Formats: sequence, C-alpha cells, structure tokens
Amino acid sequence: MASYAPPNVGALDQLVTALGAIVGSAWVLTRADDLRTYECDGLTGWRQPPLAVALPATTQEVARIVRLCHELAIPFVPRGSGTGLSGGALPHPEGIVIGLSRMRSILEVDVDNERVVVQPGVLNLDVTRAVEDKGYFYAPDPSSQRVCSIGGNVAENSGGAHCLKYGFTTNHVLAATLVLSDGRIAHLGSPCVDAPGLDLLGVVIGSEGTLGIVTEVTLRLLPKPEWVETLLAAFPSTDAAGQAVAAIIAHGVVPAAMEMMDRATIAAVESTMHAGYPDCGAALLVELDGPAADCRSLFQAVADLCRAAGATEVRVARDEAERALLWKGRRGAFSAMGRVSPDYYVQDGVVPRSHLAEVLAGIRDLEQRHGLRVANVFHAGDGNLHPLILYDRRAPGGPERARELAEDILGLCLDAGGSLTGEHGVGRDKMCQMPRLFSVADQEVMVRVRSAFDPDHLSNPDKVLPTPRLCGEHPGIYRPHPAELAGLAERV
Amino acid sequence: MRGPRASELAQLVGGGLEVVEAAPGSGLPPGLPIAQPQSEEQVSELLRLASQRRWRVDLRGGGTQPQWGPLGEPGDLVLATTALNQLVEHEPGDLICVAQAGMRLSDLQERISRTPGYRQRLMLDPPGGDGATLGGLVATRASGPLRTRYGHMRDLLLGARFVLADGTIAKTGGKVVKNVAGYDLDKLLVGSLGTLAVVVQVALRLHPQAEARASVLLEDVDAGTAAQFLVSLRTAPVVPSIVEVIWPDGVVLVQIDSTAEGAARQAEVAAGLNPRARILDLAEASYWEELLRSRPWERPGAVLGVSVPLTATRALLEFVEDQGALGEAVALSLRGTIGAGELRISSQVATLELVRETLEGWGGHTEIHRAPDELRGLGSSPRDPVAQDLIRRVKRALDPDDILEPGRISRTEPTSVAVVGTRG
Repeated sequence: MASYAPPNVGALDQLVTALGAIVGSAWVLTRADDLRTYECDGLTGWRQPPLAVALPATTQEVARIVRLCHELAIPFVPRGSGTGLSGGALPHPEGIVIGLSRMRSILEVDVDNERVVVQPGVLNLDVTRAVEDKGYFYAPDPSSQRVCSIGGNVAENSGGAHCLKYGFTTNHVLAATLVLSDGRIAHLGSPCVDAPGLDLLGVVIGSEGTLGIVTEVTLRLLPKPEWVETLLAAFPSTDAAGQAVAAIIAHGVVPAAMEMMDRATIAAVESTMHAGYPDCGAALLVELDGPAADCRSLFQAVADLCRAAGATEVRVARDEAERALLWKGRRGAFSAMGRVSPDYYVQDGVVPRSHLAEVLAGIRDLEQRHGLRVANVFHAGDGNLHPLILYDRRAPGGPERARELAEDILGLCLDAGGSLTGEHGVGRDKMCQMPRLFSVADQEVMVRVRSAFDPDHLSNPDKVLPTPRLCGEHPGIYRPHPAELAGLAERV
Repeated sequence: MRGPRASELAQLVGGGLEVVEAAPGSGLPPGLPIAQPQSEEQVSELLRLASQRRWRVDLRGGGTQPQWGPLGEPGDLVLATTALNQLVEHEPGDLICVAQAGMRLSDLQERISRTPGYRQRLMLDPPGGDGATLGGLVATRASGPLRTRYGHMRDLLLGARFVLADGTIAKTGGKVVKNVAGYDLDKLLVGSLGTLAVVVQVALRLHPQAEARASVLLEDVDAGTAAQFLVSLRTAPVVPSIVEVIWPDGVVLVQIDSTAEGAARQAEVAAGLNPRARILDLAEASYWEELLRSRPWERPGAVLGVSVPLTATRALLEFVEDQGALGEAVALSLRGTIGAGELRISSQVATLELVRETLEGWGGHTEIHRAPDELRGLGSSPRDPVAQDLIRRVKRALDPDDILEPGRISRTEPTSVAVVGTRG
C-alpha cells in the first residue's frame, strides 16, 4: 500500500491554486465550514475532513484534477450525492474530494434505442422522469432515488426494492467513460450490447470508486409495465410470513418486490407516520408488475398463498394512492426508527432465502444475549436483511454493544452461506470484515485487478480492500443524517 | 516439442492426474497431452507446474465451439474440465444451483428438473449448446433466443471459483442473487475465453418455468414491416421470452411464457399488432422451437455474433437479404427487442470484413463464433486505446506470462485489429 505524505502548508496552497486553475477558484472548497459538508457520507459515524474539495463540470476537468493528484501523489475520493451507507465517500486525511454534483446533465435521450446518456451527478429518479412520458423507466430504484446520483449507483452497483425482478445497476449500464488515476480517459462498453473485449465495465460497476472516476454513463431504459398490483399481508409472526415467501417462490412467481417488516418496525412506522399498517407480528408487502392479465391471475395466487400461510389480513391497493400508502411505511421505516430510538445502526447482510427463518431466530437470540433491541425490515425476495440495531450512544458501552451485535448478525448471514453486503457496499465500514468472506488469495486477486487500473492506489484508497494498517479499528456506528430525519433520504 | 509428454505430466502432478493423448483427427496435434484434473487442487498444481516451466495451456470444456473468438497460439497441453462435472448444490427455494465447470448444460437441466415440487431451469439456450459445459458458456458467453427475457451468462452467474495461471485458487461473488461484497470479477470471467483463469465451479441463478406457453408468428413480411412490428411489440403490454427475427425468411417468432390466462391474452395482443401475425397451434409452435435449437449453426459457413442499435434493425434485415454479397447460405437469428443475435455468412475474408464494417458504421459490432482459423481475427475489437491498454494490464496482472489461452490477448501494443481479445 502506498503511503502519502501530508503536504505542508505551502504545498497545499499550490494544490489549491492549481485546482482553481482547472475548475475556477469558486469551485474549490478549503474553508473548514465548507469542508464539513464533505467530511462524511450517509454513514455519519465515520468523519474526516479532506484537504480540499474540487467540483469539476466536465470529464476533461476531472481528468486534469486527477492528473494533478497523480503528479503530486495525492489520493482523491470521488463523491456523488453522499448518500452512501458504508463510508465509501469518506475523505482521505491526506487527499481531496472530487465532487461530481455539478455534472448533472442528461446528455442524450434516445428512446428509440432504449438508452440515455447522463453525467454522473444526475439523480436516479430524474432519469425516469426524463423518459416516463414516453412510456419508459430506469429500473434500479434504491430508496434514496430522489437524492442519490447515477455515479454513486454505478460505484455501488445499486439495486433497490425491485431488483429481484429487474436486477442491479450492472444489468442496466451499456457504457461509461472512466477517468483513470493517471488522468487518462477510457471509454468502456458500447452503446450496443456485447461490447468487444474483456468486460472491464462489469468490474468498474460496484468497485466503489477504487478503479477510477466515472464521468459519463449510458443507461438502458425499459418500457413501463402495463399493470402493477400491490398487497400487504399481515401475519402473526415473521416465521409465518417467511413461509408465505417460500410458497410464493415455489409457485414460480418472481414478484417485482417482496418486502417484510417485523412487529418492532411496524410499531415504529405507525407511531411516527401513521401508514395504517395492521397490528401484527410481521407484514409482507408484495408487488407484481407486467401485463394486466398475467398480473391479475398471479396476484390471486399470491393472495391465496399468503392466506394459506396464515395471513390474518390481506390488503390490496385499489389505486395509485393506496399503493403509495402501502409503500409509505416501508419507505419510511428507517427514518421512523430514528425517531423512536436515540440511535440505530443498520446492518446490510444477505442470507439465502431458504435460511431466513433460522437467521431471524438467531437474531432474536442475539437480542437477548446483547440486551439490545433489533427491528427487522428487509427485502424478503432476495434475502437482503436490514436489521436495525437500536441503541443509545450515551449509555455506557452503547455503541460498542451495538457494533458487536451487528457483527454477530453478519456472522449468522455468512454461516448461512450469505454475504457481507447486499447493496450498501463495503466502503470503509466493512473493509475490515472482508476477510470473513474472502480468503487472502481472493483478496489478492482483487488487489491485482485494482493495481491494473490504479497502480498507485490513488483512487479512493483505504476502501473495500482491507489494509493491515487500518483493520485493527472499530467499524463506525450509525447516526442519522439530518436530511434523513427530515424524511428526504430514507434508506433501503 | 517444447511441452510435456502425456506420461510425464501424469507423474508430475499428485493424486493420479488423468492425462490422455490427442487422437489423430481430433482437430488437435496428435499426441498433445490432454489433462483431465478431478479437483481444483489438481488444476492448481497443474497450472503452477505449467507456469514454472512456461508450458502454454489451452482450455477445453465440451469442445462444441472450437472456432470461437480470435485465434491464439497453439498450447503445449490441453486442460479439459471433463472430470469436473458434478452438481454441487441445487437449492430450489433460493432459485440457485452450484455446479462444477465441466458439467454439461443438458446434464444440469436434467438434474435440476428432477427436483420434486419445483419447475426450474437455467434460462440459457445457445443453439446446438446441449453438449456445452458451464465453464465453456462462461468463457464464450454463448446464448440463444431466451436471452430476450433472461439475459445471458453475465446476468445468470452469481459466483465462481477459479484458478489463476500461477495456481492461485480464488473465488468471486457468492451464491446469493444480491451481493455487492468485493469486486464483481464474475463479469471479467464471462466472455474472457479462458484467458484470465480456469473457472472450476459456478453458482448460477435459476428461473421458474411458467405454466403455459403461447407463440405468435409474423410471416411473409418485408424488412420495414418486421422492424415496425418490433417497435410496436416493445411498447405493447407483452413480455415475451423469445422474439426471434428469422431472416431473410421474412419471419418473426414471438414466444410468451406465463400463466395460462396471461399467455393467451399476451398472444392476442402480439398477434393484433400486424395483420400477418397469427397465434400458432402446438404442432406449428414445436416446429419453430425445434428450428431455433440449431439455427444458424445447422449449415456450413462462418457464424458471427452481431449487435446493432435497435434503430438499425431494418437496415440490418435489408442488408441480410443481399445473398450476392453474403453468400446463399446467409441466415440471421436476431433477438429482435435487443438488437443482438447470430448471423451465418460465407467464410470469405471480404464477406466478414463487409459485415464488420457495415455494422460498425451503424454503431454496432461483430464477433467471431465460427470461422476458419485464418479468418478468426476479423471480429470487432475495442477501439479506444486506453481500454485496450487496460485489457492488457488486467491480463498481465492475472496471467503475466501468457500461459492461459496464449496469444488471444495481445501483450504488446496492437498492430492490427485482430489481436485484442473479443468477448465470446
């Protein structure tokens, strides 16, 4: 691993001047007040102000900034909207942040070829907004889609509630422009499918900014489904709801979304936002989309399977307003939790769906053992759990106990054959957990690939791939972002 | 000969490595050792040895696609995954399976279909691909008509175990559909033609089979009508499994898999899009299904993977009608809502170049799926020099001595179009 010498004051002045010459001095931030906005992302437990923030407007400006960093051996951290939940945009103490929020143009809409070309700062939902009147949409829909950026989605390979059916960002990107850590510009992929050559784009997507900076992205669009059916089923327990999930899958249904909330989550949602959820042990939200006739016939089967698994109530949305109401509780679950508990940490583990029941039982045991409460809200269709560990950071040992519980939950997921992270990414937060899933050899292969793109490890260093220097420390503990408490940035 | 003899190789690797000699007429140099390791440890040991002695290793799965992609240099030995053919796990509740890379696609489908209470499949149907191995399908990224709805190997591969040229055994991904831990090296392996690693085990996403199927045929139409039909189909409330444009025959086949009620309704909608479209009865539908199982591989000629922008569909169909330029055996099987498929043409330099130049002029590209050795450099390659350089750097990072499938990715600056690897 490279080490970086902190520049002295004179060198810092030179850097700031050089950055100003590239983007204009108004777009270089150095005052402590301005840097504070950039000292963390959505995972606010990790904080580190950068030396400076540069806000470029074009690919060429990004390339020139990066070339400057390369010459001076200064690490850089790309940042989109800063909504990430794994500290992926955490600044490096000896580096700068390259913020892409000014690169917010939709460059081309080509509905006839079912694609759009966008800059990385474009917000996820704005892609769909730009094409929905023509009958199209952009499928990946992380719950932060009103505020998160496409560049960030590419870095994290974001999914969303509907990824069980529609896949992840990697399934919807045709091409990207990548600025390498030496300032060269690579064009990866192709506007048509099956680009020739090794699929480097596939590795860049989900690499969390460690292989370079994506400055332009060609996305695939999909025709909007004709019909959507949404139901909410109330069950006495998460076990019963889990049986319904298994039965739906066994029946051969692939819902567009299938979300579960346990009693603690439902109670928090009801006490804060009054979505009108039934009082029950578990709620299952199931959404089907597609041609109307198919949707209706499968939907009937799903409702019957829920009842057979013990559902005490099945509510069906009759219109878009009712659908929005059913989703309201799910989408607002995280921010609701922030209001009923002084602090919470959200875990992002994945279990094979067939192990859901045993892992949930294991989480209940862990609650007892650690003396902390855990609320569960998760993507039941793909086994992506989001246990919310409720704690009080002012209580003695509060954060430490929460962290231990979070790590134990991850252990349950991995023992069941699952994964460290389903969608929030490894970032800084889970970097030191990587050895729990990947052998030294596995990690070494990733380092080789990383070094092929970025030999000096200047692009978002100290993320994803564990370093001996850093991995004795404790992972960060979550504190909600003020914007999130205001309901702007609910989390998946 | 610079490589080992078969008998020598068998003794050098522990655990009783099975090594046979290539038979005369097998397409390989007679006597060339073909090693058939039975475990990933044997693969690792074999490759470590090859790296030390600079033996170059060609990889072989089912041997069904010996002429795919750019031609490399001949290897000193062949590593065949034949003996790595076990289903490791089928977890129907998770819609996944884990299998060794040498397992044949047809064997996998058969084993999966035996699980009671579920009707699942790996939704991958490369024409003529029953004998293909899973590892071969990763290497070539071969796919068929079902790609329209289910994507291809890139969309179905959840994780892999692999061995690098130096013998390093590693894994990527996992066996869950949702997983963003670490780099997505699965993507790098898919289509890499064995140039980066020997894949020994794969985890794959499965899909449920629908209860009912309906098929719609549009026939006797010209290119403009077919292209217009595809435009209407894309935005109609129809989610087909297959939209196969069969050209220059003037045919578009649409297959829908859903509930009985849904399939029937969607078929009505699709058939209503053009007066020449009609719903097929069972016998007719099976005729077309059978045809798709081999087309366009059933006759001699070069086969290219082709990809064009959707708006170039009509131009592509008209281009394919020119039998004078492309050969009388010209045959296109195009996934009509994606703009990608396979094209059979005559095996002539001028023909392959004409197709590549024409498609590249529209923003599309070609790749070689079958061609005589001397023509295998005639597919598209990445044009961006920085991307080319990155490809070489990734190859060097994982296989610095170019042991695996040597010569298929150039180690130096390109001198012509052909040498930079294409995705299979």
